[in-house]
Amino acid sequence: MVQGLTQQETIGASASRRTPRLRWLGPYLLLLPAFAFIAVFVFWPVIYSVYLSLQDWRLGFGSSRFVGVRNYVRLFSAPDFLNALRVTVGYTLVTSCGSIVLGLALALAIQHVRRLGSAWQALFFLPVASTMAAMAVVFRFMFDTHIGVINAVLTRIGLDRVDWLNGDLTAFAAVVVVGIWSSAGYAMVLFLAGLTTIPENLHEAAALDGASSWQQLRFITLPLLTPTTIFVVVILTLRSLESFDNVKVLTDGGPLGATQVLSHLLYIEGFRYFNTGYASALATVFFVMLLVVAIVQMRAERWVHYE
Amino acid sequence: MRRRYPLSKVWAWVFLSVAGLITVFPFLWMLSASVMQPHEIFRPGVNLVSEQPTLANYATALTKAPLLRFLGNGVIVTVAIAVLQLAVIVPAGYAFARLRFRGHRFLFLLVLAALAVPAYVRAIPNFLALSSWGLINTYPALVLPFIGSAFGVFLMRQFFRQLPGELIDAARLDGCNTGQLIWHVLLPLTRPALAAFAVFSVVSHWNDFFWPLVVIRTTRMYTPPAGIAFFASADGGENWGVIMAAGVIVITPLVLFFLLARRQFVASLAQSAVKG
Repeated sequence: MVQGLTQQETIGASASRRTPRLRWLGPYLLLLPAFAFIAVFVFWPVIYSVYLSLQDWRLGFGSSRFVGVRNYVRLFSAPDFLNALRVTVGYTLVTSCGSIVLGLALALAIQHVRRLGSAWQALFFLPVASTMAAMAVVFRFMFDTHIGVINAVLTRIGLDRVDWLNGDLTAFAAVVVVGIWSSAGYAMVLFLAGLTTIPENLHEAAALDGASSWQQLRFITLPLLTPTTIFVVVILTLRSLESFDNVKVLTDGGPLGATQVLSHLLYIEGFRYFNTGYASALATVFFVMLLVVAIVQMRAERWVHYE
Repeated sequence: MRRRYPLSKVWAWVFLSVAGLITVFPFLWMLSASVMQPHEIFRPGVNLVSEQPTLANYATALTKAPLLRFLGNGVIVTVAIAVLQLAVIVPAGYAFARLRFRGHRFLFLLVLAALAVPAYVRAIPNFLALSSWGLINTYPALVLPFIGSAFGVFLMRQFFRQLPGELIDAARLDGCNTGQLIWHVLLPLTRPALAAFAVFSVVSHWNDFFWPLVVIRTTRMYTPPAGIAFFASADGGENWGVIMAAGVIVITPLVLFFLLARRQFVASLAQSAVKG
């Protein structure tokens, strides 16, 4: 009798001890699957990438050798890297500025006409969602020197043909045009979301006080849109910095590196020549550039949140 | 009362129409060239409408390239990624939104840090890992690196935080354990959020061009973007009509999917925008 009671007590005690222990573990068990994948495929690669960048190693050519920062020294004295750095900064500036200005204009115009708003949105967002690599193939056809529609239009209005994808500046322009075509709708969607947060009565009050429409745009819409604008600037800067598809399909980085952006150079060094150590150094520098953009964003957001 | 916008509505319509025409032009051009005879494509001048439309380009495209196989690969890979992502991000998002535990802040900072790591930085180590596991040129190589989506964890946390706490307390009082709570109470409530993330995931991975180029070695394993680009460069620019037909075949499923699921897709983008 006494024995039985003790046993029951023990069972009860162990059960009640088990529940808190599980409860303590619970959150970590829920996090475990996601963190396992993130650790193996995101965090470990970042660390390993830095390690690889200190090695002299070509994949498939024997063992690696520790060389310290030699890869970085080589990188910053290599003309093709410095060229890619220049091309990437230029491409990013022009493409993100173009997309943002166009996206803002589209958002304001859609809000202005008020009719068919979601149809316009779908139309302008289509390039963002469609397969960039496939559309870049279409653009390569359109930019073709002999049978492309763009040169056909140019000759129709009496201008000379342009050898778009084989000239430095024109190939760069072509890649930028395709970049803007594929991103302006992205900026538009974000701006439209931001515009809906501006209270209508501000405009009514300003109008009653005699503010002209330009003044309303300048002193109400644009200032109140600033948090959205900063977010859009960052998103589009990162998006442009990471562009790859249009370059790969349209020019493959050519002619003579005129459109060689960092992401494409990394692809060439890492997966065409398998310069694993050198390409890892490139990846690390690229990562630092992206981090700087992200940090600037956080600073700017803290600075501007006054609404 | 004065007008709110600087320019009249007419100008806004004109601007939107011109911009809209430029935006859809490549799609129209692809469609129109895909039904042209070769001599029409090579004829000088601006030819937008074929005089003798033909579907021969489509037949040739389907026989010359395994386009249906590309599409099948795309479906397998994107569905696998979306399902596995949801399976890991829902519990993690719930834990961050609703549970208290030691290291909460630090672990969430890790998620935000993972969010900042671009695909190119992970590419070489991921490639080396997958090749040491013998997975190069397989479906797992296309799926595994993307399952642990930091963006997904972040988004799920936002959604779970918006749910009323009373509901969870009530379910707890009725004796739900965490698994039952997630499955019977929270998932039905967050179905729109899950759909939004799934659409976002499918569109971005369907369109991914870089990663398949890295880990795929044979044409038959390509997903649509790499497939069409390979087909176009292998052809050498002689059969633009056929290439455009292949482009139409490859791009149509996603465009239809996007038009059907547009609201969810835009919602998930706007969500991320408003929340920062």
